[in-house]
Amino acid sequence: MLRRTSARLAVVIFAAAACMATLVAQSVAPPLVTTQELLNGLASDGSRWLMFGGSYTNQRHSPLTQITPENVSRLVPQWVFQTDTAGRFETTPLLRDNVLYVTGPLNVAWAIDARTGRQIWQYKRELPPTGGLTACCGLVNRGFGVLGDRLFMTTLDAHLLSLNMKTGAVVWDATLEDYSKGYAATIAPLVVKDKVIVGVAGGEYGIRGFIDAYDAKTGARAWRFYTIPGPGELGNNTWAGDSWQRGGASIWVTGAYDPELNLLYYGIGNPGPDYHSESRQGDNLYSDSLVALDADTGQLRWHYQFTPHDLHDWDATQVPILADLTVAGQPRKVVMLANRNGFFYTLDRTNGRLIVGKPYVVTTWAKEIGADGRPVILPGYVPDEKGSLTCPDVTGATNFWPASYDPSQRLFFVNAREVCATYYAWKQEYVPGERYTGGAGQRATGPDMRAWGALRAIDPATGERKWEFPYISPSTSGVLTTASGLAFTGDAEGNLLAIDSHTGKLLWHFQMGSALHGTSPITYMLDGRQQILVPSGTTLTAWALSDIARVPSTR
Amino acid sequence: MRWIYFVLIVVVVAAANLLAQDVYLKIPADSPAKNPLEGNSDAISAGMGAYRVRCADCHGMDARGIRGPDITQVWARGRTDAALFRTIRNGVPNTEMPAHPAPRTSDLDIWRILAYLKTISPATAAAPGPGNAATGEHVFATNCIACHRVGDRGGNLGPDLSRIGAARARAAMARQIRGTMGSFRTGYEPVTLTTPNGQEIRGVKKNEDLFSVQVMDTRERIQGYLRDDLRSVSDEKKSAMPVFGPDKLSDAELDDLLAYLENLQGTNAAPSSAR
Repeated sequence: MLRRTSARLAVVIFAAAACMATLVAQSVAPPLVTTQELLNGLASDGSRWLMFGGSYTNQRHSPLTQITPENVSRLVPQWVFQTDTAGRFETTPLLRDNVLYVTGPLNVAWAIDARTGRQIWQYKRELPPTGGLTACCGLVNRGFGVLGDRLFMTTLDAHLLSLNMKTGAVVWDATLEDYSKGYAATIAPLVVKDKVIVGVAGGEYGIRGFIDAYDAKTGARAWRFYTIPGPGELGNNTWAGDSWQRGGASIWVTGAYDPELNLLYYGIGNPGPDYHSESRQGDNLYSDSLVALDADTGQLRWHYQFTPHDLHDWDATQVPILADLTVAGQPRKVVMLANRNGFFYTLDRTNGRLIVGKPYVVTTWAKEIGADGRPVILPGYVPDEKGSLTCPDVTGATNFWPASYDPSQRLFFVNAREVCATYYAWKQEYVPGERYTGGAGQRATGPDMRAWGALRAIDPATGERKWEFPYISPSTSGVLTTASGLAFTGDAEGNLLAIDSHTGKLLWHFQMGSALHGTSPITYMLDGRQQILVPSGTTLTAWALSDIARVPSTR
Repeated sequence: MRWIYFVLIVVVVAAANLLAQDVYLKIPADSPAKNPLEGNSDAISAGMGAYRVRCADCHGMDARGIRGPDITQVWARGRTDAALFRTIRNGVPNTEMPAHPAPRTSDLDIWRILAYLKTISPATAAAPGPGNAATGEHVFATNCIACHRVGDRGGNLGPDLSRIGAARARAAMARQIRGTMGSFRTGYEPVTLTTPNGQEIRGVKKNEDLFSVQVMDTRERIQGYLRDDLRSVSDEKKSAMPVFGPDKLSDAELDDLLAYLENLQGTNAAPSSAR
């Protein structure tokens, strides 16, 4: 009896244990995104893409090597996801635990099964009538930030949301500013320690720009840095009269972060009104500048102004990229930025001093960057009612589409534009919520005014060009590079391109039907196969090599 | 002086509100609403800049029409401010004229542009030019119809001319016919493709990218070609349209032809393609 009982008990215990084991296997908590993972950036196992630029450096350079220059022509599509909304992607998707987190136009967002492209959840924000929204240049969004099991997303009506990663439900909703006054937000948040860093768009609407940090748990604002100093603050006297109140200086492109120095690096937008500048005499700090802020307090550590008293709408809202490189035999911690104004800059990121400042497109308005770090401005390029022809054009030598950087080659890859424009200016009164540009630029056309572009590889230690891949018209695509020597980008005609990053030679292309715009592909590993994920138009397309077998993960 | 600005702003805002409603309520074309900024010098100079930047590519720096119509004659032809406002705001269906929605284009932007256009537009229509339209139709049938369409007749190699009389000033059409106009319309750029065996395919370019080119050849065959399959793709400097100098078309014949073309207002023809 005892024996039978104990035998039975053993069976029961065994069964219970087995059951528990099953239960345990099913209930492994989804791994939380940790600050350490954010610090680690793009892992060599390719298991995640957790922020806008891949890592805090914004290098957008993947360590993955399964797809190579030799086999890239064997890429085949795995699936296509359609947004079923109006407007196009400008987003950088995130990948975590085989699930993609993607923001789209009109503040719709999704969690998508990375294996199949099937939707897991959708979030849609109820927006004010579009007539009330003031996003100047498209009702877009550039991507999520993530920490723990929370996603962070800015909204077109100038809010910051935290969403539950598992359900897409709103956890908290913080108001950045009143959208009816011209504020909007399209930037992908950057998560640093326990804070979510964002900025506001609206530089064409007479706003006063700022960068904010919010507590990731509660949504409470931790600090605010006004990109235009107020009365009594250093730099306020670089704005004539009360022009500082509506000087623009917006922030709509994600910055970089150096954990050692604990500094954030953000590029700041143009001063307003953009072209007619009589009302804002002075340098107009910190418009068109790179600012380095203490990540804990938002205090300004240093700034570098690329275009003092800008007259051409040349926001410095390009993606700053961090790297450590040797310049003239010295190891330097640098931040690099190919600017809309036509110059490529390498700055010392500990103090903001200029190391390299060289034109990377035809640039007519300035002779050079002087030893004092200021551009040496040439006469005859002030916009007026008759119009003044200047290179580059309003859209600029490049713009918000992210560049990439391959540290092993010491090369910076950027889609550059060779376009000039006639700039007009006229006096304009400020009306709250109205466009406040005081002029405009018109792309120059004609037989000797061909508008074209190229993917250019630049050595940041010298500013010299190593190679270029020319396009028939200017591209607005970002660039992704990989450790295997590939650059993935797109042209304006809708082609996805794979280019040898050592030589600039075209290796493979595919007509997507809509151009990559303002973003680049991302890459990650899924079940043993390297994936290239391409947001273009209203579709997301995942690509992998046709002849690599799947190794389904067992977890 | 400041109160003047205040009053002006109130007037402008009130008018803008009125017109904003106008857009959505679809007030009929004979709406009496008048441009609140007409004659305002700041608005005119702002409108000139805005016009040059946003309209001149298609309508020309002088507003006499390039790809888009001559728009200096619109008031002379009896259109109202309100109707013109709606045309700019909503665009023209089945043509290249796009809508200009808020917030990118505010009500004030539109009124400024119209305030400027008014300053370069005659109040009354120009007297009709010389020439006999009926004779001109024969000239057209002999020389032009192989490539140009009017209504449901004619070729497709050149632009559809069913609305050309509304779109283009007489002088501009004369320059085009005599061959003194340098620019090509998008979709009609002349191109020559050379095949590996040396055969030449002439036509007009409909589209292209780094890897391919899409053309309509002179026999109206539409076809795409891979650049890799061709020896060369050359953009031609001269228009695909022949030059009709005085040797081919006398001044009198030209006047007749222009009289015919001026009558083509698109009213009796099928809508032109969306191209």
